Amino acid sequence: MTETKRPSWWPWLLFVWMVVVIWAAFYYAPSARGFKGESARIVFFHVPQAWVAVLAFCVNLVFSIRYLRRRDALDDARAAAAARLGLVFAVLATVTGSLFARVMWNHFWNWDPREVSIAILLLIYFAYFALREAVADEERRGALSASYAVLAFVTMPFLIFVVPRIYWSLHPDTIINTRGSIDMESRMLHVLIGSLVGFTGLFFWLYALDVRLARLRQKHQQRGEV
Amino acid sequence: MRASSLLSEALAVLGKEWTSELRSRVALNAIGLFALTTLIAVAYQIGPYRISEADRPFLLAALLWIILFFAASSGLARVFVKEEDAHTAKTLRLAARPAAVFAGKLLFNLILLLCLEALIVPLYCALMGFAVRSVAGLALVLAFGAVALASTATIVAAIIARASGSGTLFAILTVPLALPLLVFLIQGTRAAAQADAIAAVFPALRAIVSLAGVTLVASVYLFPVVWHD
Repeated sequence: MTETKRPSWWPWLLFVWMVVVIWAAFYYAPSARGFKGESARIVFFHVPQAWVAVLAFCVNLVFSIRYLRRRDALDDARAAAAARLGLVFAVLATVTGSLFARVMWNHFWNWDPREVSIAILLLIYFAYFALREAVADEERRGALSASYAVLAFVTMPFLIFVVPRIYWSLHPDTIINTRGSIDMESRMLHVLIGSLVGFTGLFFWLYALDVRLARLRQKHQQRGEV
Repeated sequence: MRASSLLSEALAVLGKEWTSELRSRVALNAIGLFALTTLIAVAYQIGPYRISEADRPFLLAALLWIILFFAASSGLARVFVKEEDAHTAKTLRLAARPAAVFAGKLLFNLILLLCLEALIVPLYCALMGFAVRSVAGLALVLAFGAVALASTATIVAAIIARASGSGTLFAILTVPLALPLLVFLIQGTRAAAQADAIAAVFPALRAIVSLAGVTLVASVYLFPVVWHD
């Protein structure tokens, strides 16, 4: 499958967008009530990072299933690239969440159900890469890691939706809360949506770079074989 | 007709597993001894008196599942690893359909887990003074927990057998996948210890059954890929 070449101004637009988002997070959005100091501003980075992590794991699932159907090595590379970025963004979401927890509740880690859920999620995708490292044969590695990715993904709804709702949580209400409404001041909402768009763009840019690298590596290997 | 032949194939695989296990007793010995050793260590160090009354249901439920889970982990991977080690996997591929192989191995692991629970849970309750108010509730949690754990362990065992067959890899892959299940199992066991009514375990049981269901469905779909890659 050939991927369309993106215009060269695309990363620059993304750069300007992210600069505007960072500026707006500190100067355009008002302070939130009920939080210590300006700690609530971390929401503009923490939520998009968590969203991108979930998006990346969804992309990983899609390409894992596609690999199992078509056995195209590039699909395996796409799945691995998505999982790698998912892990990076999940780690970033954990770090920003911990910073917020330190300010609000004096501890970086409080064994809150959401903290436990993301820790398990990180372990699952670290295990995914441990499995990839353990298999030398490329085709077998693709099949086994794709199978594990599908298994890992089916536990995700339990981690994200069930566990945090069974136990009492310190975590503030999610953006779309259990009543199905969004309780957020309009300017804050603008910045959050802008940040979500920016982080999603950042993910796809990094993802495209990673896949391009995998494709070049593949071509190089094929030339070496010839 | 097709379903009945699949069932008979699965039962034949289960029969083969039992015969070979009774010959070597590797998995039975590993799981049983690991569980007994851990139970004795925990009972000796903590016993029935070192935990305050308020903390008992929580801590004792968590300790019980830690013992059961890690004991199970020491033996459940063998179902597929031994086929690769003994070079019998190819013959098994020719002799039975993937669904029958998976079902037979899953049933074997399930029986192992149920035996482990039957041995350890009464001993644990006696040695640790773990009073369970809803025995039926605990029985349900143990039964469905065994199904969910056996499903996860069997498919991961198939994956690691095709990867490198190492026990370490089995632990690395199984522990994160089983952690959400352990959370629900501990919650269900604690509920059975605290409440007389069987309904107290239902919230955790719903999650355990759902998790077992999705893992089973995903495993049945994935197993042919892993088995024939």
